[in-house]
Amino acid sequence: MSQATLRVQKISGHAGSVPGQDTQREYTVCKLIDTTTCIGCKACEVACMEWNDLPFGETVFDNTYQTMPETRWNYWNLILFNEHERDDGSLMWLMRKNQCMHCGEPGCLAACPADGAIIQYTNGIVDFQQANCIGCGYCITGCPFDIPKMNPKTHRVFKCTLCTDRVSEGLEPACIKSCPTGCLHFGIKDDMKELAESRAKQLRDYSNFPNAGVYDPPGVGGTGVIYVLHDATQPELYGGLPKNPHVPWSVKLWKGPLKWFGNVAMIGGLIGLFVHYLRYGPKAREEEDLATGPRGGRT
Amino acid sequence: MSRQEQILPHGQVLRYTLRERITHWAAGVTYLYLLGTGLAFWSPWLFWLAVALGGTQVSRTLHPWAGLIFFGSVWYMYVMWAPQMTHTDDDRRWWKALKYYSTNQDDKMPPAGRYNAGQKFLFWGFFWANLLLFLSGIFLWAPQYFAWHSLVAMRISVLVHAAAALFTIGLFMIHLYMGLFAERGAFGSVIRGDVSIAFAKRYHPAWYKEIAGEAASPRK
Amino acid sequence: MTNGWIDIKNTDMMLIMGGNPAENHPCGFKWVVEAKRNRNAKLIVVDPRFTRTASVADLFCQIRAGSDIAFLGGLIQYAIENHRVAKDYLLNYTNAAFVVKEGFKLPEDGLYSGFDAATQTYDKTTWNYQEGGDLSGKAARATGDPPGKENKAGGQPAAPPHLPENVAYDLTLQHPNCVFQLLRKQYSRYTPEMVERITGIPKAQFEKIADLFTSVRKDGDMKKVATIIYAVGWTQHTAGTQTIRTAAMLQLLLGNVGRSGGGVNALRGHSNIQGATDMAGIFEILPGYLKVPVPTDTDFKTYLERITPKSSKPHIWDSWNYWSNTPKFAVSFMKAMYGDAATKQSDWAFHYLPKVDRNYSWAYIWDDMYRGNVKGLFAFGMNGVAIGPDSNKNIAALKKADWLVVGEIYPDETSEFWKSPGITQDEMKKIQTTVYRLPCAGFAEKDGTFVNSARWLQWKNAALPPPGDAKLDQEILARIFLKVRELYQKEGGKFPDAILHATWSYTNPQNPALAEVAKEINGKALADLEDPVTKQQVKAGQQLPGYAWLKDDGTTACGNWLYSGSFTEAGNMMARRGTEDPSGLGIYPNWGFSWPANRRVMYNRASCDLQGKPWDLSRKQVWWNEATQKWVGNDVPDFKADSKPKDHMGPFIMNPEGVGRLFVPIGAVADGPFPEHYEPIESPVENPLHPQQSSNPIVKKFKTDADKYGTAKDYNIVCTTYRLTEHYHYWTKNNPMNVQLVPEPFVEVPAELADKMGIRGGEVLKVTSARGVYQAKAMVTKRIKRMMIDGKETFQIGIPIHWGYRGIAEDEGKTWKTAANLLSPTVIDPNAWTPEFKGFLVKLEKA
Repeated sequence: MSQATLRVQKISGHAGSVPGQDTQREYTVCKLIDTTTCIGCKACEVACMEWNDLPFGETVFDNTYQTMPETRWNYWNLILFNEHERDDGSLMWLMRKNQCMHCGEPGCLAACPADGAIIQYTNGIVDFQQANCIGCGYCITGCPFDIPKMNPKTHRVFKCTLCTDRVSEGLEPACIKSCPTGCLHFGIKDDMKELAESRAKQLRDYSNFPNAGVYDPPGVGGTGVIYVLHDATQPELYGGLPKNPHVPWSVKLWKGPLKWFGNVAMIGGLIGLFVHYLRYGPKAREEEDLATGPRGGRT
Repeated sequence: MSRQEQILPHGQVLRYTLRERITHWAAGVTYLYLLGTGLAFWSPWLFWLAVALGGTQVSRTLHPWAGLIFFGSVWYMYVMWAPQMTHTDDDRRWWKALKYYSTNQDDKMPPAGRYNAGQKFLFWGFFWANLLLFLSGIFLWAPQYFAWHSLVAMRISVLVHAAAALFTIGLFMIHLYMGLFAERGAFGSVIRGDVSIAFAKRYHPAWYKEIAGEAASPRK
Repeated sequence: MTNGWIDIKNTDMMLIMGGNPAENHPCGFKWVVEAKRNRNAKLIVVDPRFTRTASVADLFCQIRAGSDIAFLGGLIQYAIENHRVAKDYLLNYTNAAFVVKEGFKLPEDGLYSGFDAATQTYDKTTWNYQEGGDLSGKAARATGDPPGKENKAGGQPAAPPHLPENVAYDLTLQHPNCVFQLLRKQYSRYTPEMVERITGIPKAQFEKIADLFTSVRKDGDMKKVATIIYAVGWTQHTAGTQTIRTAAMLQLLLGNVGRSGGGVNALRGHSNIQGATDMAGIFEILPGYLKVPVPTDTDFKTYLERITPKSSKPHIWDSWNYWSNTPKFAVSFMKAMYGDAATKQSDWAFHYLPKVDRNYSWAYIWDDMYRGNVKGLFAFGMNGVAIGPDSNKNIAALKKADWLVVGEIYPDETSEFWKSPGITQDEMKKIQTTVYRLPCAGFAEKDGTFVNSARWLQWKNAALPPPGDAKLDQEILARIFLKVRELYQKEGGKFPDAILHATWSYTNPQNPALAEVAKEINGKALADLEDPVTKQQVKAGQQLPGYAWLKDDGTTACGNWLYSGSFTEAGNMMARRGTEDPSGLGIYPNWGFSWPANRRVMYNRASCDLQGKPWDLSRKQVWWNEATQKWVGNDVPDFKADSKPKDHMGPFIMNPEGVGRLFVPIGAVADGPFPEHYEPIESPVENPLHPQQSSNPIVKKFKTDADKYGTAKDYNIVCTTYRLTEHYHYWTKNNPMNVQLVPEPFVEVPAELADKMGIRGGEVLKVTSARGVYQAKAMVTKRIKRMMIDGKETFQIGIPIHWGYRGIAEDEGKTWKTAANLLSPTVIDPNAWTPEFKGFLVKLEKA
């Protein structure tokens, strides 16, 4: 959580306007992950643990090189290892660094009811402010990438911060710093997009990957983390990366029609009952009960 | 408690036993809390409710516990009242005459028993909504303990919880209106437990007849 | 490495084999990625397993562990038959044209000429060049030495074989006994079909790879460059040295050695293995790869004569024969060791040096201890029990020792050998070995240098002091040395002089500063010196600017000639951190110090054609400057600076021939002038090339009762061992972060084998070799596939080595406390003495 900038353009559970909106040039930062040059060394996993000073956790052998089945509240950066056989019988060992995607339109933020628990900075970083988190877990339901994880003890939700503390000081995120092969890059989104496209083109032209492409899904408003994939038509191969992610329909329904309907119904109901009382009043006054009997139908 | 004991001195009739009243208020108080905190989570514009109710995290922490008490209370109501809540032919006629009821022409209503059809609807409405709220709530509370934990289930739970809550809010508003404003004396019945004979005769004539008749002829 | 890490970025083609740099050298692997990204370089990976390196390869094929020579020999065959060789390079920069003696026989039956079955050694007389001159086009007539001469020589005693001064040659490469024709004949047997039978790589796949790799020399093009990158996956076989030689020959054939983006590149397994080797990490060399004296070296002169090579080349060519400077290196070394005690009069104190009478390599140390001959052991910076091979034998050996001193930062398997699993309380009481465990400093607590795979000496500073009672290695060693010297002083002893007269002139003798030691290694002038050409002067007492200043008259002292220039009067060259790279070739001349002489690519003269013009003008390393009549360049020329191209001096200045050796004459390699595929000592099949001589004829099995070797009848699965990115040898199992990344030991099992045996991932397996049992959970994977070896269905499994009986998981009872090297056999490569960790036989059962 960074206090270094109040340049916040979106706030969860917030009534009213947002302080940072329209205050900055529209440069969003972006992490580029070239899965085709990732060697699964896990340096990024260690760097994330070290920079963020996260506590160690227990892991168990699970017939894979992957550190653990999925990210944890205290393990924000996990390389997913997937074996895939191509049509020609050759094997691919796909490694994808999985972490928060820092969506342009974050589903977590949309789903969060707590004022200021999730914010999006003007540079695009989506950050959880655990001090404001109430632990409802709704952000978990709002994320199409299954990223936010709750600490079961404290009921606060955690995820990759894109090292806002580093980025606000002009440094790259810790994972980028640690990557030995240069498969990770960090910079302005437009630049990263261009770099990614050039790599994808190289893979199409010089390697046996005619479907190589860039993963920057429009369904969530583009992401602050983009991938170069050997086969952009099959992102699911990379540990279930959704082909066309979007803010879940449940969150949309809940935050959209249901909210409207509910608000209208509640306010309408209150007004209706109030008017009813004005028109009809009580069925009977206690003291009148025996004497006068029912008094309806005065009109 | 025999029917006879329900006839009290000073022209009063015992409508709710102490156990029933305690159960009602356990549900009532927790519901109010659940409503307040729930509404806070429902809309940013009402988030202040959570602050007012002791703080946002406290609200989130206590909401499910309150929910458990509420669930238990409503469940106990089911145990106590379910047999009295069966739908009868009278109830069908009552629904047909709803427009008289809502315009305070109670004399045109078919005679209601201890609970009229509207109250029965309230009961069953709360009962089923309570079940949904409980199930979805438990899941949202601690998804990690369920083997079938999945995002889809959580997402459904969010919707179900909100929708069921909205439904209860509708019921609750009518219940409150009836109890506090429309039927004078009803509120006292869940505090003191008794209503006047006039109240009983007026709103629940069949019930009163039953008690009074029984009091007169101890055979039944 | 002939080249260096960064230089990999300059390549067009990479063959990574016997190594897994993505996992074991991830930082260096960035240059592989750079080459792919910036040059569209192709990456070929050949390995027993589909590794993380393979995951970014353009082509991968699975090879049977221990069959690398067959594969590389197949590549040589393919390159020759498809004319994808660097013709000019081959002719002028290698010994392809040299004519070999009559009587030399290729190992078509598995044996070279001169084999003596009784001693399991070769008489290498015929492994030599023929004396004489130009035999070009005279193949039919010239038959070399008359047969009678050979016999006569054989009849006389003494005179060990030496290289002829004037070598016979045939520049048409047609002479049937010229190296090229012999090479062609030797590898004509390594057809794609034979490669498939031995390695298990399907013919079509092999041809695809061979075509891709040799494509750098398609249509005679000399611009492109290919590199070969390997690690201990090659070294740790009984054919380790020969495997690496095969790679070197292939690279010579393709003209890739000496060139930016080329070379034969060994990736070292630890941060300072290169430094350990340079500083005499093995029994048979002194610092700077000077040979150790042997008992027949009766005096310094005899010794120098034996170890100083004489040039051996066609008379029309020139050869610098840089090892002819050996006396300068040796005398300066003796001056550094013994100071004033080493004088011409005292024969440079030569009698102080131990004379090594036999093999004292790693496996023999333990064998000797097992036999009760070695009574005590200092174990610093290594975990001998876990390292193996045959950990059980090592544990048994330690039980017989009187004492053991372990300097470590964690309690390890070696220091706790006496409570290794299976030892009962009663047995424990019987173990009389006294164990001293000395707390040492970790790498971040020491200063000094690391020498990386690229031969760079890089100085580092200590980050923090050692904790508690932990001491720096040099302090422990210095205090032991001083105590021993004190005892010699007091009590005399058998031969005190070598100890009493050893120089020990450090400011703090109890704890020498490593910078002082580094200065000593660099060397200094003991008298005023002057360069006769440049008139540059070095005053007595000053640091030497480089090894060119070394003298054999006792006026210079130098601990290791290769490191001379690393700590000069200008300061600590190893601490330099200049990031200028004017050529863009990643040379970084002002970063650290690269031996020799701050040169980044060795043999770089070979990057130019005969006239001294770079083969590829976009990668200009060095070149002949006609104007100044000098070799100049972006890198330091690895050549005599004023040797004119027309003099035809060979670029391989460390060879007496001046050229690269496709054929290795006499002494250099023990088991054959050309590498031949021999099966590992434990192999699933008989050698398809010559079943009657399946494994290496000169490899000797150890003979104690602990040394057991299995056969394919009892042990049907090929097992290889390796390391993981997530762990560092046997240390990181003590670190919670690493343990979190990979918490437990495991066995990688091919899915097809698992299906057959009904094994599921996570089930506990028992792996048994003739020597021991290893237990761990199964990792069932498609990354290792079933193979057909010579028509026989064969499976391979893999075991990462990182666990034992002491560590976080071990202490919590989460493992079976077995070490991978309980399985590996004590059998060693006959040239480098490296044990065969990478291919042996086991059987597999569910536990």
